[in-house]
Amino acid sequence: MSLLFYAWGEPVYIIIMLVSTLTDYCFGLLLDKPNQTSVKRKGIVVCSVIVNLLLLSYFKYADFLIQNINALIGSNIPLTELPLPIGISFYTFQSMSYIIDVYRGTAKAQRNWIDFGTYVALFPQLVAGPIVKYSTIAEQLKQRTENMKMFAEGVRRFTIGLAKKVLLANNIGLLWDTISSSNPASMPVLTAWLGIIAFAFQIYFDFSGYSDMAIGLGLMFGFRFNENFNKPYIAQSITDFWRRWHISLSSWFREYVYIPLGGNRRGLAIQTRNILIVWMLTGFWHGASWNFILWGLYFGVILIFEKWWGLALLQRAPRWIRHLYAIILILIGWVLFAFDKPSLIVGYLGAMWGFNGQALWDNETMYFFYTNAVLLIVLVTFSLPLKQRSRLSITHLAWYGFLYLLSVAYLVDATFNPFLYFRF
Amino acid sequence: MKHLSERLLVVGFVSSTFLIALLFFILPHHRFSELENRYLQAAPQLTWDNLISKKFAEETESFITDHFPFRDKWLWVKSTSEQARLQQENNGIYQGKDGYLFEKFLEPDYKKVQRYAESVNQFASNHPTVKMTFMLAPTSIGIYPERLPWLAPSYSQKKVNQFIEESMQNDLNFMNGINILEQHATEPVYYRTDHHWTTFGAYLAYVAYAEQQGWQPFSLKDFSIKTVSNSFLGSYHTRSQFTGLTPDTIQTYTPLNPVHTEMYIADTDQTVTSMYDESFLAKKDQYSYFLGGVHALMKLTTALDPQQIAQEKLLVIKDSYAHNVLPFLTNHVPEIHVIDLRFYNGDIGVYLSENDIKDVLFLFNTATFVEDAALLKLN
Repeated sequence: MSLLFYAWGEPVYIIIMLVSTLTDYCFGLLLDKPNQTSVKRKGIVVCSVIVNLLLLSYFKYADFLIQNINALIGSNIPLTELPLPIGISFYTFQSMSYIIDVYRGTAKAQRNWIDFGTYVALFPQLVAGPIVKYSTIAEQLKQRTENMKMFAEGVRRFTIGLAKKVLLANNIGLLWDTISSSNPASMPVLTAWLGIIAFAFQIYFDFSGYSDMAIGLGLMFGFRFNENFNKPYIAQSITDFWRRWHISLSSWFREYVYIPLGGNRRGLAIQTRNILIVWMLTGFWHGASWNFILWGLYFGVILIFEKWWGLALLQRAPRWIRHLYAIILILIGWVLFAFDKPSLIVGYLGAMWGFNGQALWDNETMYFFYTNAVLLIVLVTFSLPLKQRSRLSITHLAWYGFLYLLSVAYLVDATFNPFLYFRF
Repeated sequence: MKHLSERLLVVGFVSSTFLIALLFFILPHHRFSELENRYLQAAPQLTWDNLISKKFAEETESFITDHFPFRDKWLWVKSTSEQARLQQENNGIYQGKDGYLFEKFLEPDYKKVQRYAESVNQFASNHPTVKMTFMLAPTSIGIYPERLPWLAPSYSQKKVNQFIEESMQNDLNFMNGINILEQHATEPVYYRTDHHWTTFGAYLAYVAYAEQQGWQPFSLKDFSIKTVSNSFLGSYHTRSQFTGLTPDTIQTYTPLNPVHTEMYIADTDQTVTSMYDESFLAKKDQYSYFLGGVHALMKLTTALDPQQIAQEKLLVIKDSYAHNVLPFLTNHVPEIHVIDLRFYNGDIGVYLSENDIKDVLFLFNTATFVEDAALLKLN
């Protein structure tokens, strides 16, 4: 089933996934053989990580490397121009987590190849995460419980995810498309802010919508994945933000890169270095382009600042200041994320702070604002923590039905419906 | 209670999903969507090549959305909820006042516009013995700005037209459509749901051209005006799918002493005896009623009394704004050649001398002109 789903989108690249899965399955068994010397075990892990990273590099980063080499030494190496296989960033990371867990002994090797294949290619989260660590799901692979309660929960979760993506993210995305394609040199301050706020909402509702749908589908089939988002925009600091945003990725890097590098136990200097390495990689994971590396490092630097004395300083500030601080830094981060040309990044940041000499707002700003006011209110509301009601009343039920039907209507209308995090 | 509503949720979700799937297979599939004026995706062919190249998957997805059960009802739901949330546009079309739809007009790329204008200029100076006239019509957004949604951004076509006029002043007569139409802005010069001007708008253009050429146009009372359709929902409607609109009417202006025109269509090597193609009135794109839509090269031959002839020959280089102007011109010009640069690939200079043409009329609207790279083919 999962493989069918994948083959649908990537008829050729399914071979890559099968190769990756098969090698890691074998590596896992090898690791688990009794009397294996520790040198050999280490060798196996290194091999597996290299295979996975090579796959990922070849398809995701080769062209980036070639472009930079060409630019640097003026050579003319042709680009591979390979399309990125769906979900490659996700399933290679999942595979690696399995091997490392087995190596560390936190998980047992999977002997049943069907179960292992299910883990790697689990279709609900294949496209956009969450990255499921092997240890969290090992038990569930063996004994899944499918019951009405979980299925109902799954339906609710899926509907909410669908509505987030189709009704909220896609529509606010149109505003961002309009604003981002106009010239930042003539953009009023508030239009620039409205634009990047639109982008922030778009990327959050898009990505967390996909995560919700994945978690919902997982529940319908009896799997319980970890949460990937926890209301990131109510964060009070950047440290807080990264505990709430794309949780499965940050915890992957923490567990498999940051802590092995020594984490925070080997002095401030080493910790600082580790943070920078992790955040550069996090940025690079998001896409093969310099602006993503910059985006990662930007957060790395802020996190170091917060570690040293920023957080202590923030503690003394009132709540709304902390919140404003976090939001502004996050929004500036999205500018780095959204544009891949340095001139556009500089121009857009300039427009946000009025360096282009434009007015605070104009008629167009007002038009953007009032035609999206209803949507913005909904977006803000659903970014705040809402009271979780476990009881499902009839009115509630009607709401789910309404959301589901409305989402279908928007889907039927959509002739073009791209997924934002496509560079993963 | 808790269990009941959970059960209802699951049953509702599963059964509605299956019901839609079932209806999809049971309900008949149409080949053509009148609402959207396009052919719908046909059932995909399952072959090995299609499967490997992803064509099968892509076609299946379009097939499903195109033939989704009750598609037009779903579209209505979307469009209604967009209106409910105060959104004033859909697919680049504004929902204006008085039932008017408008195509968003943004600041054009002036470098490109300059190149197109220079290309026309160059063409004019390459043929000094030919009298050239350039008529640049605004689109409806340029004439009815007060009908736009509140505060809706729109770039001034007046500025663009002025820029183009200044870029091509030397060797040709420039006619700014804004000057022609502005004084009639209270009258229905444009369709509400389509991007063209009405036959009345075309009439005003014809009068202005005649005056510029120095001959006498017919007055309104020389025509019998007939409504041929009152169910026209045009291209703006097709793109935006806004609901609750009043359809436009299409009129024809037939002179009281009708003339007989033969229309030769070079593309298909056909000659037809009417400039109006009735069959389009039953379709979505009713504007193609005029001249039967777009052709690369046409020749309109009309038998005229010698005293009725204002000029012997005319070449019209145009976009579709000319389609409802040409019938007026046939009352005064016995031989009219019509070229659409987007589809005609021959040498225009050679065409002029081969057919011994001494008059050229360029007729474009501003929105087409600023995007029409085909103008570079002139020279």
